[in-house]
Formats: sequence, structure tokens, C-alpha cells
Amino acid sequence: MKRTALSLLALSLIAAGAQAQTTIKINGYAGQDPAIVGDLINRFVKPQLAKDNISVVYEPLQGDYNQSLTTLLAAGNAGDVFYLPAETLDTYVATNKIQPLNGLVSTTPFLKSLNTTFTRNGKVYAIAKDFNTLTLVYNKDLFDEAKVAYPNNNDTWTSLQTKLTNLKKALGNDYYGICLAPDFARMGQFAFANGWNQFDSKGKTNLQDPAFVAAFNYFTGLAKNKVGVQPSELSQDWSGGCLATGKVGVAIEGNWIVGFLKDNAPNLKYGTALIPKADKTGKRGNFLYTVGWAINSDSKNKAAAAKVLNILTSAPVQQYVLEQGLAIPSRTALQSNAYFKKTDPGAQNSLAVFQGASDGTVKGYTFGPQGPDWIKPINTALAAVLSGQKSAADALKQAQSDMNTLQKR
Amino acid sequence: MYKKAQATATAYLFLAPFLISTLVFFFYAFARALYYSFTDFNLFNTPHLIGLRPYVDVLADPSFRRALANTLIFSISVTILQTIGSLLMAVALNNRIRGQAFFRSAWYMPSITSSVVITLIFLWLFQRRGVANYLITQFQTYLPIILSFLGILVAAQIIQVLYERSRRLPAGWFDPALAAVSALIAAGLTALLSVLGVVGARAVQPFDFQYFSDSWLSIGGVQVLSMPLLVVIIMNTFTTIPTLMLFFLAGLQNIPGALYEAADIDGATPYQKLRNVTVPMLRPVTFFVVTVSLIGTMQMFDQVAVIGSAAPQNTLITLAYYVYANTFKSGAAPVNMAAAAAIILALIILLMVFIQRRFFVTAEAQ
Repeated sequence: MKRTALSLLALSLIAAGAQAQTTIKINGYAGQDPAIVGDLINRFVKPQLAKDNISVVYEPLQGDYNQSLTTLLAAGNAGDVFYLPAETLDTYVATNKIQPLNGLVSTTPFLKSLNTTFTRNGKVYAIAKDFNTLTLVYNKDLFDEAKVAYPNNNDTWTSLQTKLTNLKKALGNDYYGICLAPDFARMGQFAFANGWNQFDSKGKTNLQDPAFVAAFNYFTGLAKNKVGVQPSELSQDWSGGCLATGKVGVAIEGNWIVGFLKDNAPNLKYGTALIPKADKTGKRGNFLYTVGWAINSDSKNKAAAAKVLNILTSAPVQQYVLEQGLAIPSRTALQSNAYFKKTDPGAQNSLAVFQGASDGTVKGYTFGPQGPDWIKPINTALAAVLSGQKSAADALKQAQSDMNTLQKR
Repeated sequence: MYKKAQATATAYLFLAPFLISTLVFFFYAFARALYYSFTDFNLFNTPHLIGLRPYVDVLADPSFRRALANTLIFSISVTILQTIGSLLMAVALNNRIRGQAFFRSAWYMPSITSSVVITLIFLWLFQRRGVANYLITQFQTYLPIILSFLGILVAAQIIQVLYERSRRLPAGWFDPALAAVSALIAAGLTALLSVLGVVGARAVQPFDFQYFSDSWLSIGGVQVLSMPLLVVIIMNTFTTIPTLMLFFLAGLQNIPGALYEAADIDGATPYQKLRNVTVPMLRPVTFFVVTVSLIGTMQMFDQVAVIGSAAPQNTLITLAYYVYANTFKSGAAPVNMAAAAAIILALIILLMVFIQRRFFVTAEAQ
């Protein structure tokens, strides 16, 4: 009898010990992220949290991340901390499942434009994990062969167009000036440069705004005389693929193109310039593509989750991420980092991407409360005009009417 | 008495796995969907009854109306095409021909291949630089040669038949032996003409049609059928004909041979036999095939999901896809509208099957 009582006591002690151990579950992308985040957890998070008895696990969500996260949140099974893509921020804020971070985490060390991207009504919902912006990546050999000057940071829409037209003229039928993906994600920054806003004070989108129309016409006008080419016409599915074929002078892409070119076109000599400035405003525009760290408002361990979040966005972690060439971190202090002073094209590209985040009109790549459906009317219009099926005016008229019905819902 | 109760209990025991899964995954799910379709549910809130509003919202939604039109057009055209196609194919494979087993398996292949794989293959075939456009370009290039071959073939056939008839021999216009000779003559002459440079391949612009784009067949300004949907119609007909063919094949085996013998004695042509013996005798099978096909096509989802954003959504959206897309979004989603659309879809299917039962099936099928 005594022995039973003793062993019961021992068991309950073990159980209490196990209870004291807090586990923070992190949800994020599948692919290569489990390896990277796992590495970060082992190197930085675990050593700092060992004394607090907090353990951390990473659970990647397979398939469509947003769908999986939505299902988990609705069922109450989502992680304590998770990735929150900026483009779906508004649809998640509407669920009341995202914990506002005001008071829990300090936002001051991070780039202001990134904080703005994750702020709604004065509440910060996530801290940017890392980010990307767009740059012009160009094939040096093609410009040399055509005897045309490289694109540079002083180019305007007109001067870039002239360079691309000259390149096409010099090299002939098999070569193209620029690869134009029919995607708002590659065209929208021209509209921002022109002073266009995604949403007016009532939350409506105006695609007939002269600032947007001018940018749309500039982008689709680049396809005239085959100076610009769609990726599909070269049997590619994005403009990075176009550039790798060696037949296209310029692609508008972010830092993700560096790794791709290293693997798929190791001999391609490329350079990077900032997005050209609008002739009218003299400013350039850009997108911030970013994913933030957010906390589940249903989490039972919010304090521990905030600790984990703070470590994952701390200076040593971001330094490590940058040096590994994994991503462009979100801390302002990193701009004087030695890595950005390197001369290899990859580091140069990273620098341009970092500069792009605070030069001109920079806005988050976000879709508003309608979620990813918002982008479809614009992309359909771009595809129709670029492939010559519709005039720009007709396509924009149709897009505006589709946008109105979407936003009426 | 006791024995009977025991037998009943045993029967229910055996039926239990099926009954339980039907109760949970059909009746419970259906009741939930019905309930949500009258609420303001968005996955995250506590549902409140709001009456018929979700139905009004759904009917006012242009993408729902497009989905409804696409679904009806798809369903009716595919059902007609595959019923006729599978009947003809079954009749062909029911003949005693050499290598019958091979043909039966070969024809069945598209049905056992995953619809996702077939969709990917079709996406590839109908790319802007795909096989379909390539073949059309090749056809246009060699059109002079093809036309001259066909012209000579027809001319040679006419001359031969007239010559045979002038010798008072019974020669039909499609006599295979004469046709073979005509084909030989046509091939020889065309080859000679192309060597002499009279006819030859033309230089044509590559045929550059984008199948998965916002292009429509319109009647009176109303967009009826989109090009991407036409591709999916072709694909779906291609993959489901074999399955339906099996039902017809089974039905054909049950038709007494004596009927065909009688028809032969009366001097019926193959077409008359098909029209007056096979089709009426297969009526119960046809009812089954049409019902299965209607239900299957009304719920068409996988091909649309796989093609995804490769085609503009309006051109392909179906009711099942509409329901899916409005339920599985990021964050808060209009689940009440999706549920209302699902109920409307269920009602349409019920109505279609009811109409068909009422007017189509004859006494012997019931």
C-alpha cells in the first residue's frame, strides 16, 4: 500500500514537471523553411530559453499555407506563433485571431515601411521576418553586344524604354528588351510611383485613376514591337526564367532571383539597378513583399510566445540570416552591414533590394479585406492587353467593373 | 420471433459501417450546410440566423451566375457527347474482332489514369506553344499537298466507279478496293507534283492561339462557352467515355441474339439495327448512364482546380469550385454563401434527375 502511494506521488511529480515545461508551436511554410527555422531554433532560441523551461517546435504547413492556417485557426489548433504573409493580413485581422503586439514587442528597430505594412488602426499585428523589393536585373552581355548603356539608378520610364527599344533593334528578332509577367506584383509599383493609391478613403479601388492608367499603359506599352515579351512566349513561367534563357535584357524581380540564377544560369553576367523613376513625379515606387511573425490570440502561453518572437527577430538572428544569404532582414541597423559592401552580383542585388525599401513610394504587397481575389481583375486585364486580345482602355473598363462587384460583397 | 430479431440485428450490424459513415459524412454535413446557409457564418464567428440573405447574396453574385451557366453548359454538352460516344464505342467493341481484349483494355486506359495527370497533359497539349497549335500550323503548312491529294483521290474514285459501271459491273461509290487504288494513284501523282514543284509546303505564321485565355463563343453578345471550358469538355468526354462504355457493353451482352438474327432476315442495315434494336433495348442502361453522367458533371471540380490560375477564373468556374473557393480562403470566408450555393447545386441535381425519371424512363426500366 505504502509503495503504491509512493509511486503515485512520484508519478504526479513527474507529471507536474512535465506540465511546467511550456511548448511553443510555430507554424510556417514547408519547403526549405523547416531546415532554416530549425537551425535558428537550435542555434538561438533553445539556448536562451533553456532556463525558462520553454521548448519550441516548428510545424510546417503543407500545401496552400493560407488555407491550412485558416483551417487550423478556425479549429483552434494553430500554433502559438506563425508566419503571417502581408498579402493576407487583412483577412486574418478580420478573424480576431491575431494578437496585437503593441506593448508586447518593440517595433522601433525595424524598417518603418515594414511596420506600416503590418499595422491596422494603430495596432501592429506582426513583425517582419524578412522582406524583398523589386529591382531591375539585367543581362550585361546583351547590353554590351547591343552597345547600349546598362540600366542605372537614374533611369526614368522614358530613358529605360529607349534603352530597351535600342537593345531590341540592335539584337534582332530572337532577343527581347524586357520580360513582362502579366501580374500586378510586377506592374503595381509603377502606379505607386505615379501617386496611385490602392484604396481610397472608402476602401474602394479606382483603376480609372489617370495615375494608374498611365502606369498600366507604360507597362503594357513596353510590349510594343516585341520589345517586351511574356514569360509564356519563351516557355517560361516567370521573368527570372526568361532572363536565364539569355534572350532577354531585363527582368523585374526581387532577391529570390539570385539563387535561381546561380543554379540555372551560372555563367550569366548580370547587374542590378533600382526600378526607374516616373517621369511625372520623379519618384520611384516599390512593393514590400514580406512575411511577419504573429502570435495567436488564442495561445495559452502568450508571454512565452512573445519571448520566442523577440528572439527570432533579434539582431544576432537577422545577422546570421543575412550572412547565410537566406533573406534580407528587417532591422534598420543592418544597412551598414559589411555584407552589403561586397561586389559580387548577389550582394549588389541584396543592397538594391534593401535600398528599394526606403526609396520613393514604397507600399506593402497587400490585397485588403477581399484577400487574394482583389488582384485577379488587374491580372486578367494585364494578360489580355499583353497578349493583344484587348485594348488597354477596354481591359481596364472590364477590370473596374469586376473590381466593383468584388468590393460590393 | 427471437430468430427474426436476431437476423435483423445482424443485418444492421453488417450495415453499420456504411450507415454510420453516411449519417456522419452525409446527413450531418448536409444538415450543417443547410443551417449555415441561413446564417452569417464566416468560419470564425458564432453563427446567427439571418434568413434568406445568403441566398439573395449568392444569386446577386456575378461569379455565381457565371458558375451556374458554366456548370449547366458543361453538364449538358458532356452528357450528350459521352452518352453517344460511349454507346457507339460499346457497339464497336461488342463485335467479334481480332484483338478484342487489347482494344477493350486500351480504350479503358483514360478512365483509370488520374484525372489530375490527364488535366496536366491537356494543359500541356493546349499551351500557346503546345502540340495542338503545332499540329494546326503543320496542317496549314502542308494544306496544298493535302488538298491536291484529296482532290486527285476523289477524281480517281469517280472515274473508276463510272468506268466499272460502264462495264455494267456493280460498283459502289465507297468501294474499298477501288478506293485503295485511288489512294495509290493520288499519292503517286501528289508526290510527282511536289517533286516538280507544282504544289508544296507553304510558309505560314505559326498558329498562335491561347486556349487558356479570356476568349468566348458568344451568341447575340451573350458569352456562352469559353475556350478553356471547351478544352475541359473535350478532356472530360475523353476520360469518362470508357467507364460509361462498360455499362453499355454489359447491357449489350443482355440483348438476345435472336433479335439481331430476325433483323438480319428482314434485311436491316447496321444503322437500322442500331436504331431499332440496340437503342430501345438499352433504354434502362441509358437512363443509368445519363443520370450518373449528369450528377458527375454537375459536380465537376478537379480539372478546374488543377488548371487553377492558368486560365481566367470566369472562364472555368463551376458551382462545385465556387463552393470550394468561398469556403477555403485565407482568414474569414463567406461560408454562408458557399453553403447556400451548395444547397442550390443539390436542388438542381435533384430536379434534373426527377425530370429525367418522369419523362425519359419507360415502363420496363422501372
